[in-house]
Amino acid sequence: MRLPALLLAVIAVGSLAGPGVAYMMGVDPTMIDLLHRSAGPSMTHPLGTDELGRDMLLRLMEGGRISLTIGIAAAIAAAAVGTAVGLCAGYLGGWTDRVLMRLTDGVIALPLLPLLIVLAALDLHKIGISRGFADSPGMSLVRIVVLAVLVVWTTAARLVRGATLVTKSRDFVRAAQSLGAGVPHILWRHILPNVMAPLVVATTLSVGDIILLESVLSFLGLGVQPPLASWGSMLSNAEELITSSPLLAVYPGTMIFLTVIACNLLGDALLQRFDPRDPGRG
Amino acid sequence: MHATDVFGEYGQANARRVGSPRWFALALFLLTWPWASAAAHDQLTIGIVQFPPALNPDLEAVAAKSYVLGFALRPFTTFDASWKPVCLLCTELPTFENGRAVKTELPGGKTGIDLTYTIRPDATWADGVPVTTDDVKFTYEFGRNKESAVASAEMYREILGIDVKDDKTFTLHWDRLSYNYAAIDDFVLLPAHLERQAFTDPAQYKVRTLYATDPTNAGLYNGPYRIAEFASGSHIVLEPNPHWAGAPPYFKRITIRAIENTAALEANLLSGTIDMIAGEIGLPLDEALAFAQRHGGDYNIIYKPGLTFEHVDCNLDNPVLADRRVREALLVGLDRATLVKTLFAGKQAAADSFVEPLDAGYTDDVPKYPYDPARAKQLLEDAGWHAQSDGTRKNADGKSLSFELTTTAGNRSRELVEQILQSQWKEIGVDIRIHNEPARVLFGETLPHRHFDLAMYAWLSAPENSPRSIFRSDEVPTESNNYAGQNLTDYKNPEMDRLIDALEVELDAGKRKALWAEAQKLYATDLPSLPLYFRSDAFILPKWLTGVQPTGNQSPTTLWSTDWGEKQ
Amino acid sequence: MIRFTAIRLIEIAAMLVLMSFVIYALIGLMPGDPIDLMLGADPHLTSADVARLKVLYGVDRPLIERYFAWAQAAFHGNLGYSRLFLTPVAAALPPRLGNSLILMGSSFVIAFAASLGLGVAAARRPRSRIDGAINLACFAGVSMPTFWLALILILVFAEGLGWLPASGTGGGESGDLAERLRHLVLPVTTLAIASIGGYTRYIRAAMRDALGQDHIRTARAKGASEARVVWRHALRSAMVPVATILALSFGALVSGALVTEEMFAYPGMGKLIFDAVMGNDYNLALAALLLASAVTMLGNLAADLAYAWLDPRVSYR
Repeated sequence: MRLPALLLAVIAVGSLAGPGVAYMMGVDPTMIDLLHRSAGPSMTHPLGTDELGRDMLLRLMEGGRISLTIGIAAAIAAAAVGTAVGLCAGYLGGWTDRVLMRLTDGVIALPLLPLLIVLAALDLHKIGISRGFADSPGMSLVRIVVLAVLVVWTTAARLVRGATLVTKSRDFVRAAQSLGAGVPHILWRHILPNVMAPLVVATTLSVGDIILLESVLSFLGLGVQPPLASWGSMLSNAEELITSSPLLAVYPGTMIFLTVIACNLLGDALLQRFDPRDPGRG
Repeated sequence: MHATDVFGEYGQANARRVGSPRWFALALFLLTWPWASAAAHDQLTIGIVQFPPALNPDLEAVAAKSYVLGFALRPFTTFDASWKPVCLLCTELPTFENGRAVKTELPGGKTGIDLTYTIRPDATWADGVPVTTDDVKFTYEFGRNKESAVASAEMYREILGIDVKDDKTFTLHWDRLSYNYAAIDDFVLLPAHLERQAFTDPAQYKVRTLYATDPTNAGLYNGPYRIAEFASGSHIVLEPNPHWAGAPPYFKRITIRAIENTAALEANLLSGTIDMIAGEIGLPLDEALAFAQRHGGDYNIIYKPGLTFEHVDCNLDNPVLADRRVREALLVGLDRATLVKTLFAGKQAAADSFVEPLDAGYTDDVPKYPYDPARAKQLLEDAGWHAQSDGTRKNADGKSLSFELTTTAGNRSRELVEQILQSQWKEIGVDIRIHNEPARVLFGETLPHRHFDLAMYAWLSAPENSPRSIFRSDEVPTESNNYAGQNLTDYKNPEMDRLIDALEVELDAGKRKALWAEAQKLYATDLPSLPLYFRSDAFILPKWLTGVQPTGNQSPTTLWSTDWGEKQ
Repeated sequence: MIRFTAIRLIEIAAMLVLMSFVIYALIGLMPGDPIDLMLGADPHLTSADVARLKVLYGVDRPLIERYFAWAQAAFHGNLGYSRLFLTPVAAALPPRLGNSLILMGSSFVIAFAASLGLGVAAARRPRSRIDGAINLACFAGVSMPTFWLALILILVFAEGLGWLPASGTGGGESGDLAERLRHLVLPVTTLAIASIGGYTRYIRAAMRDALGQDHIRTARAKGASEARVVWRHALRSAMVPVATILALSFGALVSGALVTEEMFAYPGMGKLIFDAVMGNDYNLALAALLLASAVTMLGNLAADLAYAWLDPRVSYR
């Protein structure tokens, strides 16, 4: 458990330290240097430069900031949405349950990739978002987070619903109900804490999945827009130069691999912690 | 580079297999070598990045389709590698001298022209039926029908009528006389004996056409090859047309494979699954250059600049961009020479105006804008944009000098260029926000509705193609004209209008060249858009292949497939 | 049980209707149309031509009107014409569907068989080095983007070693079975690696659970061989999660794998759906997407029914 957590911490801190390192190195991370494209490692550029001559190390760090931000933000948001749906479905039962579960099944059943493409190409102006905001670089990040949430929330929903169903029939919940406690109170104080364990595991695992999803979106041309870079977009851009400058792909590819595997291992370790009898992914 | 050593050169993989004694490998190599070099390549496999839609030549204009059809269907005329119109299906081009071109007076005082063509006597559809004026009549009928979904309806509207003299000779009555009157590239014949059936209900033609329902039917093709196999989404196989009367094609079988992912396309080439990558629909130039760096020695790579003019449109409705000094500052603030040298190894020359150097109308005598950041900064200061301490510029009202730069999303080359532009313009104090959109959104809505500041994209043209739709003041897309026209910059200059009108009807080549020169000078003076470069295509061919000659214009190399062969 | 099944089938039908509207609306919300792209390909084309073509292809009518026209026709079994292929949808789907079934089917069978072996091996030796290694390998398999994995395989096996073809199906008139199999190796391997990880962990967990139960101890006490214990008794208990995997993978058989198909130029359903959506080919996109969704939902239903059948404690009212 300690190893993956440590690895993730190193990656996160490393990415955040980007601006600081840039300052110390005296290098401008966005400066394009056409005369030194795809250069190898040197004194000024410890990991070499990318296809436009920008420092590779700093680009990796920026990529890390963006990829991790997307991963964590989307994971937490998806968990929140999924929990809300799962709690309502599991606790309220009846028609609410049926409708919500069919909705969840529908979303799971749809081959999401093509629809993500549609959603990514959607004209935001048509649905009322002001032009200024819709065209800012921040918006492309928000868009990707929203897409990721749409894909990932269903796992949390099903998980939480299952756990809610189990918890709901336990004595202390019945006691609270008979004492006249309101539904929100019961959900918040009694059900939610018992649902947290598998939820935390699922959320941790989903961070890795989201980072991979983002790289596929970049592969399809729908990821973060330049000049922002994420590991996924760096990897898919470098794919085309693989035979001439393989390092451009190796660096972000390795970072994705390490981060995702660390998330998976961490999630697995958390699962062991919470339920040692069941060591597999639930 | 260590990593690539592992992959090595494909041809030597046998010799380098781990553990083989060297002498054995050498013996093997020597034994197989004579066989290898004597092995005849009577088949050719071509890789392209996009599979064409159904092959009807007159519906839907798509580059992949014209490439494939170049093997199998003859248009009447085309532009060859010297950019002159040549006859492919006809016997000779109509001129006033040979009497085949006759000026006519039309009601209303307009001048038209009558052109008489004769179909080659040996032209035959691959099922043995000769190509006759019957096909001409049918194609004309199809093109005039409002419900047929024909792509270039404009051309058919300009043909007022057809007179058929006999089986092979006919006369077209045009409603206008323009300088490139003899070239009728878009008039591609449909086989009447097969397609008439499908045309009984014109609205249903596009789904009943045999090109869609029975693409391997020999009678649909009259070129050196016919389509033998059509596996939609995957590959197309061509075999020689048994009734072809021209020079016999060398290759007995040509397979065209569509591989959309360019990295995979390269890998297919290196592994021998495909023999060549078509330049017209192949790798983008910077990728081809990267490929050439590693493997250029094993292939014959031809770079040919084309008629694709990459530029940055400035929306002149934006009051900041309406000031010419700002536009000139943007242009001189760009080091196009270095960009072209480093990103494109000099294979794409920086452009000074909108006409391609190989084009008949080209002139070098236009105002030039070499890289001069000091001048750029001065121009901006003069225009009222004062440098601030943080590197940006503000005017007297406190507004920042900032633009949005838009291009097609997912296009790696353009994204690279965009970032270079952003970085260089930052140096002179211009802030650029990059906002890319998928091509269909950009061309479908953003550009026609003119919701942009700076838009980077390309104009496709043909040899000596009139710039009417991009420069004429009445071609600005607005709501009132239903967004027709391609004058996206809102460039209105009566002098340019006059030049366009004049050169379209000027038959004397010398006078026309002078008009073209003036138009280019005017463009380079007014700078409604910023010229970048003319895109080059990269043809990656095996060393044993001969005869492939890129034209540099829209005519695909496949139209001359009978020249292709193997080095002996 | 019958009642349960009937209700679920009705719900599935209702979901499909709802989804058809949502999909149609989403595709319609995409601005522009592929016809607009023609302007960039033919210098002689004008915007007037584009407008005229849009009318001819029916793209200019309001979305709702087009949707109801489609729905009505579809209800009577007429799926319409595919705009991309210019053939009836019913003719455009089967070949691609066949390709996908072959690709996804083979990779599923191989991945499942491999994960069965690995999962059982790991479950039998808990917390051993083998268990740890298998666990790590599982995670490694799922921690790489598929397009990356595909590219590495192509570079090593097709380009570097030259053993296998880099693209296509090997089918068509010139292909025989051996060719087709050769062309399947790399794409199937890519997909299998991506899924083995998940399946193995699932099976490993279920087997460990099963091996720890009372009736296993009883069997062992009665002197049954280890192999018999594992393969007969424990596996039966582990069947529920296994059935889940099987049923949930149903949908993937039909929806294909876009990224893998693109990398290997393999014409399957994944690429078809993508091209249809991007090409505004409503008829084809809807037919393909609804087919994939229906199969997935039926798979879920089958999984739920399997639970009930396998585990008598579970019942549905």
